[in-house]
Amino acid sequence: MSILAYNGAAIMAMKGKNCVAIAADRRFGVQAQTISTEFEKIFEMGPQLFVGLPGLATDVQTVFQRLKFRLNIYELRENRRIKPKTFMSMVSNLLYERRFGPYFVEPVIAGLDPVTSEPYVASMDLIGCPMETNDFVVSGTCSEQMYGMCESLWEPNLEPDDLFETISQALMNAFDRDAVSGWGAVVYIIEKDKVTKRFLKTRQD
Amino acid sequence: MASMMTNRFQPAMFGPEMLGFGMEWMNNEVSTGTTIMATEYDGGVVVGADSRTTTGSYIANRVTDKLTKVTDYIYCCRSGSAADTQAVADLVKYQIDFHRMEMGKEPLVKTVANIFKQLCYDYRDQITAGIIVAGWDSRDGGQVYSVPISGMLQKMPFTIGGSGSTYLYGYVDANFKAGMTKEQSLQFVANSVSLAMNRDGSSGGIIRLASISKDGVERHVLTGDKVPQFYEDY
Repeated sequence: MSILAYNGAAIMAMKGKNCVAIAADRRFGVQAQTISTEFEKIFEMGPQLFVGLPGLATDVQTVFQRLKFRLNIYELRENRRIKPKTFMSMVSNLLYERRFGPYFVEPVIAGLDPVTSEPYVASMDLIGCPMETNDFVVSGTCSEQMYGMCESLWEPNLEPDDLFETISQALMNAFDRDAVSGWGAVVYIIEKDKVTKRFLKTRQD
Repeated sequence: MASMMTNRFQPAMFGPEMLGFGMEWMNNEVSTGTTIMATEYDGGVVVGADSRTTTGSYIANRVTDKLTKVTDYIYCCRSGSAADTQAVADLVKYQIDFHRMEMGKEPLVKTVANIFKQLCYDYRDQITAGIIVAGWDSRDGGQVYSVPISGMLQKMPFTIGGSGSTYLYGYVDANFKAGMTKEQSLQFVANSVSLAMNRDGSSGGIIRLASISKDGVERHVLTGDKVPQFYEDY
């Protein structure tokens, strides 16, 4: 089994009208066995900036910790919040440093610019190749399924409540076709002045 | 009795070239990595299964029927390779159809179980099949026979099988009682399959049940809310 499929994960992010959404499943498993249904894969890196980390669970936690460290130093030095695009470059750099012995995570970034509040989403592969899009990004063991769902359900300029419905349906129906992801889901809706975190009631199989 | 999918069969045309092109699934065998179960009750048997078929980690079918009719009064539960178990079940069905015409009466569950055993044992190096045979006949009433991967045959009051069964040994040992009613058995099997589906990635979907007695077969499906719920932190 591929190392990126050892623990299993499904994460996606979508742009909306003056908002972004990022959602992930909550399973922590070892191959076919599910061990926990409360595993966090989305981490807050700023009041309106989140990173989702699918892949090998140990690297999910290590990359988050190392990234947070670099981010803290950045914020102390610059005395301001980091922009999403700059953060993307920071993640890319961290991953490429390990080009020949990589972290087995393929991150998804979602956030609003701290000054202009413009929505931003990006994803990258395990060695840091970035991809910025204007609609959505997906990453995980059921990425093919997620691409299909997003491509069909997403439309531009969705309001926060509609974006919530769209990303929830896209994620759930994608990971319901994957044997190693699912078992619960969490959705963050990030708007200019607030972030709403909701748990979805999903199939537990 | 646990069954895990294997990648033993790799035809030359789909080879290592497929890896790295996002086509690993072409080398993965279709598996009913699964949870199956059968139990005797007072007057017959109850069989149950989940409904998930996987190709690697992709769920190829989420509403599979793993409870396969062999005769009007005898069913088998299939786990392991989907292709192998379908082929074996078809062979047994054919042979026993013939046998029934010659005998002029319904075959014994023991007979069907032995034909399954013979195939699974003789071809044990070439197939991956974990099968439970359960049914009713007029001589011995309800019976459950387990035919795990290597081709052993064992009559048991109840049995579990498939990759999800590993999570159930404690539960079934604690909760089985001899001489349950049909309703109690249906609940017992439904609870067990549901618990396994919660933990095993290769099991999931809906719960299919069937009860077999002198009156024939009654099939049930438990979907969505009807699947028994246990502790979940939402």
